[in-house]
Amino acid sequence: MTTAQVAADAVIRVTDLKKAYGDIRAVDGVSFEVRPGEIFGLLGPNGAGKTTTVEILEGLREPDSGEVRVLGLDVAKDADALKPRIGVSLQTAAMYPKLTVVELIDLFRSFYPKSRPTDELIEALGLGERKTAQSKELSGGQRQRLAVALALVNDPELVFLDEPTTGLDPAARRALWTLVEDLRASGTSVLLTTHYMEEAEVLCDRLAIMDHGKVLELGTVEELVSKHFKDRAVRFDTDEGLEAGQLESLPGVTSVAIDDTETLVYTRDVGATIGALLSAAEARGIEPQNLAIRRASLEDVFLKLTGRALRD
Amino acid sequence: MRALWTLTLANIRSYTRDRAALFWTLAFPLIFIVMFGLIFQGGEAALNLAWVDNDGSPQSAELRTSLAAASGVSVEDFPEQDALDRMRRGEVDAVIVVPEGYGGQLAANAGSDTPGAPSVVTVYTDPSRQSLEGSVFQVLGSVLAVVNMNDRPPLVVPKPEPIQTENLSFISYFVPSMLGLSVMQVGIFAAIPLVADREKLILKRLAATPLRRWQLVGSNVLMRLLIALAQAVIIVAVGSFFFGVEITGSILLTAFFVVLGSVTFLALGYVIASFASTEDSANGMTSVVQFPMMFLSGTFFPIQAMPDALQAVARIIPLTYLADALRQVMVGGVPFATLGVCAAVLLGWLVVCFAIASRKFRWQ
Repeated sequence: MTTAQVAADAVIRVTDLKKAYGDIRAVDGVSFEVRPGEIFGLLGPNGAGKTTTVEILEGLREPDSGEVRVLGLDVAKDADALKPRIGVSLQTAAMYPKLTVVELIDLFRSFYPKSRPTDELIEALGLGERKTAQSKELSGGQRQRLAVALALVNDPELVFLDEPTTGLDPAARRALWTLVEDLRASGTSVLLTTHYMEEAEVLCDRLAIMDHGKVLELGTVEELVSKHFKDRAVRFDTDEGLEAGQLESLPGVTSVAIDDTETLVYTRDVGATIGALLSAAEARGIEPQNLAIRRASLEDVFLKLTGRALRD
Repeated sequence: MRALWTLTLANIRSYTRDRAALFWTLAFPLIFIVMFGLIFQGGEAALNLAWVDNDGSPQSAELRTSLAAASGVSVEDFPEQDALDRMRRGEVDAVIVVPEGYGGQLAANAGSDTPGAPSVVTVYTDPSRQSLEGSVFQVLGSVLAVVNMNDRPPLVVPKPEPIQTENLSFISYFVPSMLGLSVMQVGIFAAIPLVADREKLILKRLAATPLRRWQLVGSNVLMRLLIALAQAVIIVAVGSFFFGVEITGSILLTAFFVVLGSVTFLALGYVIASFASTEDSANGMTSVVQFPMMFLSGTFFPIQAMPDALQAVARIIPLTYLADALRQVMVGGVPFATLGVCAAVLLGWLVVCFAIASRKFRWQ
């Protein structure tokens, strides 16, 4: 597929988007495309500009400048045509607290010209046992699933999920991941924001890493990792007998990092490095403990690009 | 239209499941009515009758004597105009007018085998003070029974004449006032859930759906109107069944002012919601509006009894005019302003509040 075709088919096309609040440039020249049927992630720490970007795409905020097209429509001008075709789950999943799950789904269905049956949605989102519970009585995970259910009532072509798993326990998070994967399977395009590295790695077909209102890098997880880390890392528990100077002279090694507990040897040639490492160790009567080879991860990329680890 | 209706229904559901809202808007005015009704019930002691003798005959003097002899009755003589003025000011409970020629007609009829038309005494009472009116005719009836001596046809008949007085019984004054108060509560209390919904980003979430803002506002207006009308029915029912308050005026006109008042105070609620950023501040601002209105609008005591400075405030605030209009329409209360002025002032407040809210209200 050529670049031009992608541009024509894109469900979202953002070009040089800017939005400032006073002196703070929340979104500072963001460009990206989301292709049909893919799960696209915006990954970044809190305050990176993810939510502002998404809310502009949802038509909830006005951009200062830049071009935004969603499902081929101009968000500002064609909001009436666009809204029935998208589904939205905001960062805060609150809903009328005293209405039940069924009542809320029915309420949202009444806003759209066409909608999925309430029972089907309740079934799909695993809310069957809580259908007569008021939304204030739901757990965090149930509330998020309800928010997703409300985003799906109109059977949208494109769904925005803003930090759908923030604050959820691991089980609830995984349950929601399954839901998002089901969406991809049904051909729905998804734009997801998250500050969970693992979530981005598991779910996103492609992602953009954002910080300070800019897209730092964009691509598949594979592309991002291999672009920034051509080397693999050989690790073992730090041993006094194996010093940095000696490790750096091993074949294929590009760099060495040693701290109190772990020694990391980055290498272009894992086989040659490990062979030489083991013979050097044997010569000194040492056996490296917990020896392992690992690929660099998205987290390594993120650390390198932003200079900080993602926090919860 | 379907969205408007479902959202209205959702609003009503949320409202009826909110005990605090139910208390302030429905129970609170009722508690007041029941409380004050019980305190002031039985407060009517002796009957003060104004006696107007336009005849000056022995027969009229005799009637006055027997009336004054009845227990729990005091009779005072006044010229007719003076008596009626006193009645209007609420200083006497009824005015009895004996017409000129009463004595002569009575004597002629009493001695005749073929009596002519009976003598008529005119009795002015206030129909809005039902129990008082009943007592007056009861006493008068028993006195006249003696004069009539079981003659058929009777020699003297009372002719009831309604007269509007300032001195509504407290409960008659209070019931329409409370209706006005609760209409105000229903309206301005809209600010609190509105700000809460904005704070929880519910309004923002709705903005991402095809729902239109007029549908959102419209559902809010519809729901509050339905509650205000339900409230009017409950308050009137309690007032008339338990405390004998007689609704003398037009139901339609009452409904008109309930609707106009609701919309006006709802607009004021939107103004509050425009300036309150959190649910707590909305709560506080609502109280700041609610309490002065409650006490300075003549709800608990007539405006004329207040100091001048406070009267000036009373002349401005919308509840004064809503409560005044409701008292006039429902129980024939003495006007503070004409119904037209009341409607105009409420409409003026509505326009101003609408203008402010439509400029300042933030959806997110």
